[in-house]
Amino acid sequence: MTTTAAPVALTPRRGLAAARARHTAGRVLAALVRSVAIIVPVFLVATFVTFALRALSGLSPARIQLGEEATPEAIARVEAQWGLDRPFLVQYGDWLDGILHGQLGTSWANGADISTLIGLGLGVSLSVATLALLIGVVVGFMLGTVAALRSTTWIDRAITGFVTVISVMPAFVVGIVLVVVFAVGLHWFPSGGYVPAEQGVGPWLAHITLPAVALSFDVIADVARQLRAGLVAAYRENYVTGAVVRGLSPRRIFFGHVLRNGLGPTLATLGLKFPALVGASVVTEWIFGLQGFGRFANDAAQAGDVPAVQGVLVVSIVLVVSFNLIVNLVLARVTPAAQRGV
Amino acid sequence: MTTVSEGLLPRRAPGAAPDAPAPPVLSLRDVRIGDRAGDREIVRGVSFELAPGRAVGIVGESGSGKTLTCRAALGILPAHFEVTGGSIEIDGTDIATLNPARWRALRGTTISAVFQDPASYLNPSIRVGAQIAEAVRAKKGLRRREAHRRAVELLRTVRLRDPELVHGSYPHELSGGMLQRVLIAAAIAAGPRILVADEATTALDVTVQAEILDMLAELRERTGLALVVVSHDPAVVARLCDEVLVLREGEVVEQGPTHAVLHDPRHEYTRLLIAEHEQYGLDRFRTTGEDT
Ligand SMILES: Nc1ncnc2c1ncn2[C@@H]1O[C@H](COP(=O)(O)OP(=O)(O)O)[C@@H](O)[C@H]1O
Ligand SMILES: [Mg+2]
Repeated sequence: MTTTAAPVALTPRRGLAAARARHTAGRVLAALVRSVAIIVPVFLVATFVTFALRALSGLSPARIQLGEEATPEAIARVEAQWGLDRPFLVQYGDWLDGILHGQLGTSWANGADISTLIGLGLGVSLSVATLALLIGVVVGFMLGTVAALRSTTWIDRAITGFVTVISVMPAFVVGIVLVVVFAVGLHWFPSGGYVPAEQGVGPWLAHITLPAVALSFDVIADVARQLRAGLVAAYRENYVTGAVVRGLSPRRIFFGHVLRNGLGPTLATLGLKFPALVGASVVTEWIFGLQGFGRFANDAAQAGDVPAVQGVLVVSIVLVVSFNLIVNLVLARVTPAAQRGV
Repeated sequence: MTTVSEGLLPRRAPGAAPDAPAPPVLSLRDVRIGDRAGDREIVRGVSFELAPGRAVGIVGESGSGKTLTCRAALGILPAHFEVTGGSIEIDGTDIATLNPARWRALRGTTISAVFQDPASYLNPSIRVGAQIAEAVRAKKGLRRREAHRRAVELLRTVRLRDPELVHGSYPHELSGGMLQRVLIAAAIAAGPRILVADEATTALDVTVQAEILDMLAELRERTGLALVVVSHDPAVVARLCDEVLVLREGEVVEQGPTHAVLHDPRHEYTRLLIAEHEQYGLDRFRTTGEDT
């Protein structure tokens, strides 16, 4: 039979506290190591496939520069200039080395530096996508939370209905409506174009708000639905009854217990959402006349500008991978149980 | 019964002579619980009074309405159920008059509870020590550091070996017996006067079960905690309780002092219940239970 434990000496107690702190750090570190162990091979395979694109497509800078009727000698000369006559693996090594140093190479179409071009486009797209994500998370969070707290009432049904409606509205339709109403009709926002943040935060926000709103609907719907489901499920758990019986306040129960456990699925979807937003921005870039990443990608593909397309793919891979990494680390921090469950 | 409190829980039992009956902390009078929608009455007339430092037991087969009775006293009846008749008083207050804020004030500090399947009653993503400390901070207004110390103290009170280690563990890292002790520690964190233990030891093996019951008995003697002990197993009630109610299909078929009801059952149903559990060691519990 257990007896009352002897008083624990001070030193081991400190040791334990320290061990516990290390434990928390260790959990996040373990998630980091695990993620990196997945990311590195994924990155290598994905970039290899990306690089093989030229060989697979049979495209050549000579076609772009010399046209269709070039002599084989001229083509060989141009390809030699681009270093394409070297062994495949040497070219890949060179290219990969450049990527690791942030150099994505030179455009076949106009000889411009691809990193610079993508940087410009990405500035636009990331601005729009980030704002869309922010709007989506904030609004979706509020809707999902209110629906969960008032679940099965008319408020819940109204929110669920609204969310269903906005989730089926295509971004390009929303975008066109927003332009017609708020830009052309009411003149509240510019109807198109882009101003970098360095030239003033106000104009920058004015230019990205409508496209961001158009893109955010999808995020709002996803976040609201996931969060509502997660919270409703968490409220049914016995540990909520436990907290109620201990006399904890509804606020403490919501933030300390329900939210913490109900958030997992929402965070996981957000990890996939951001890269998808950057991709989806192509549509809104057309409607709002933005020279973004999507436009650049489209132009590069149409022109058969292989280095530019490869650059686009590499940047996309990096976006997807790093956003997943961030979400994994946040999940490891917020819901350690979820991590262990896997 | 008159040992000096060691200060872990404020001793609330009045220092009056043992014979003078203290006013009850919990009293149920002809409590009836029914389905809100319909005619079905599931609990039909449960009455008992619980004085500080006393223990009342409720036995009965599964589905007889024990849990609903407890939940009614805690104000956490499942949706669609309500108290349809009789009255429940906690520390002199009729619970029918309580609003959510006053309920919150009573729970944890006056009445608290532990249940079967302790793991599910603890948040899986939060260390157990932090969950006990949370109750201490919310109900007692202690600061983080003091709350931590108090949580460790409480873990020692429920006789967990190495309370510091348990404090930093997640629920899934602990055994069922340890979790039930943790749940008890969290339940008594704010020094309640009544603890409802609904099948609290049911899923545990006999040795662990006995240890926890003894721990509760000690807690009751030392701090004047009043216990409502619910079990389908008469042996559990025999070990802890002064008075016992035998419930069948929501009706009290027999009620009285534990030794009288369990040693000399009048009702056929009580006899059946006891016979059914004989093999699980009622006799052993009976003798040790009577020594105290
Ligand atoms: N949440 C609930 N929903 C519907 N019926 C319930 C619920 N809880 C209990 N009941 C019904 O009430 C009766 C009494 O249940 P309960 O108090 O849990 O019994 P016990 O704890 O004695 O096993 C049972 O017949 C059960 O079917
Ligand atoms: Mg029950």
